[in-house]
Amino acid sequence: MAKNLSGDLQVASANRLADGVVVWLDDAGEWTTRLERAAISRDRRSGEILLLRAQAEAFVVIDPFLVAVAEDDDGTIEPLSLRERIRASGLTFDAIAADAVRYA
Amino acid sequence: MPDTYFYRYDDYDRTLVGERVEQFRDQVRRRLAGELTEEQFKPLRLHNGLYLQLHAYMLRIAIPYGTLSSRQLRKLADISRKYDRGYGHFTTRQNLQLNWIRLEDAPDALAALAEVDMHALQTSGNCIRNVTADHFAGAAADEIEDPRIWAEIVRQWSTLHPEFTYLPRKFKIAITGSPNDRAAVRVHDIGLRLWRNDEGEVGFEVIVGGGLGRTPMIGKTLRAFLPRNELLAYLEATLRVYNRYGRRDNLYKARIKILVHEVGVERMRADVEAEYAETRDGLLGLSSETIEAIAQQFAPPDLPSRPTVVGAVEALKLEDRDFALWLKSNVAPHRAAGYAIVTASLKPAGAPPGDASAVQMEGVADIADTYSQSELRVSHEQNLTLPHVAIEDLPAVYAALGRLGFAEANVGKITDIIACPGLDYCALANARSIPVAQRLSSHFANLARQHDIGDLKIKISGCINACGHHHVGHIGILGVDKNGVELYQISLGGDVDFGRTALGTIIGPAVTADKVVEAVDAVVATYLDVRNDGERFVDTYRRIGAQPFKERLYETV
Repeated sequence: MAKNLSGDLQVASANRLADGVVVWLDDAGEWTTRLERAAISRDRRSGEILLLRAQAEAFVVIDPFLVAVAEDDDGTIEPLSLRERIRASGLTFDAIAADAVRYA
Repeated sequence: MPDTYFYRYDDYDRTLVGERVEQFRDQVRRRLAGELTEEQFKPLRLHNGLYLQLHAYMLRIAIPYGTLSSRQLRKLADISRKYDRGYGHFTTRQNLQLNWIRLEDAPDALAALAEVDMHALQTSGNCIRNVTADHFAGAAADEIEDPRIWAEIVRQWSTLHPEFTYLPRKFKIAITGSPNDRAAVRVHDIGLRLWRNDEGEVGFEVIVGGGLGRTPMIGKTLRAFLPRNELLAYLEATLRVYNRYGRRDNLYKARIKILVHEVGVERMRADVEAEYAETRDGLLGLSSETIEAIAQQFAPPDLPSRPTVVGAVEALKLEDRDFALWLKSNVAPHRAAGYAIVTASLKPAGAPPGDASAVQMEGVADIADTYSQSELRVSHEQNLTLPHVAIEDLPAVYAALGRLGFAEANVGKITDIIACPGLDYCALANARSIPVAQRLSSHFANLARQHDIGDLKIKISGCINACGHHHVGHIGILGVDKNGVELYQISLGGDVDFGRTALGTIIGPAVTADKVVEAVDAVVATYLDVRNDGERFVDTYRRIGAQPFKERLYETV
């Protein structure tokens, strides 16, 4: 499946102030925990505007920034960097459960 | 019987910690109400040990000199369950990190910690951090003096010390009271080694300017023998010289190791001694009464006489090969006849190193209550230690730890891996550490093979900050990011043993994540082929050099 890997596509991300959870800014200007709902900027100018919108939310989130993403033909987006993929999808291993007596 | 054989908070300590919790509660309220910006709030939360990592806030809890009571460990389990995801990560600085704390809950978590005389102060920021010590302290057969007495004295002096709250950079002190250094004193900003001179007096060798990170250095001796009662005055003089001359213009050159390197240890010594001459007769001289009062808090527990040779232990050794291996690797000599020090391995095969669930923490606390005077230690190698176990109780302790998954007979072996949290958690990391450790741990899981390989320490860091101590691993692994791809540099020959402390040498080009196990396997196979009888990996490396390892490794990957 073809991907747009140009690096021109960006979404705005941050950590939510109250709990630190990773969030993205959506088209309605709300912070969402679902990457697929993130607003996508497709050129440099719209990226700057997206970041300014995100930074206006300084009492809701912490230190917003732009994340370069790739987009499939079906519109699925994925961060280009491993760090941002891990931020989006969580730990790459299973953490031990609270009631576990051994690691499985 | 006191409920602990180590320092108990007095009213001053309790008031200080309690006031800080309420102060932070108000700071959090103001931040959430929009009265403080992140720029204003960030240093306040960091002063209370609250970091922001990739996925959430992380609370770094200080465990002073790695000593815990069972009651405190139970509380840590409770806090992890109530305010986090029910597990915690024991770190290379003997701290505990909770990785999923909500800012809203942080004041309550700190208040819960204060209930058991714990806090997260000075686990961040450019101050004197939590003082670390030998994890066998107060129990080791080779101990000259309990280093925790001195760690506690340093803790009291350094806590919220106004002159040293904004140093050029963070400052880490480690103390050992034994000739066999288990506290890595030569790779700390200041390392203190208690030793006995020819006159029979006990004092400190003061070592300065060691450290890992971006510019690893082995510490140099600043004072060969410092009388014990002069410790604080001499530390104050040293910190004062660092505070005055340490670089503040470049974050990467701000640690004391850079100052010592740039001016030379002779100049550093002269400056410290000059400062010391001015201040040595001041308030910081330690009276014998003060020392004795602290020492009393660490009075050894009353251990009734127990047999040194136990038929049931000997019989189980013959019946159960894994138990026999566990005795060899996880049980160390105690200074009291009939007792032993047991290390609970937090490195079961395939598990994230240093992680423990709430249930496991409670389980270890129960074992400590039943078999180890309710005492525990956290090691900088990310394991838990039961310091006072009767030899006749070893089979029961082995079985109980086994039920928790913590009886792996691998302490000091190839799967007793140190690993930082890496890119799975850490905002500074470039590459993952834990999954690499898990793959290595699974690959080398066979206990008989591990014991055949012998003492071999793998240490993994996910970035150049070296929280995983890769520079001093017999095999060190450093994750780097090259054009978006995780690569791992392999270094060989590092060591933290006293008198043999060495930094590892990078062996060649970095390998991809999927080749790390093969690379380590090639290094181990080379060692097994060429070692002499009884020769440890690192000694073989020193004897034959890097080339044979390098050739085999790059033929393989």
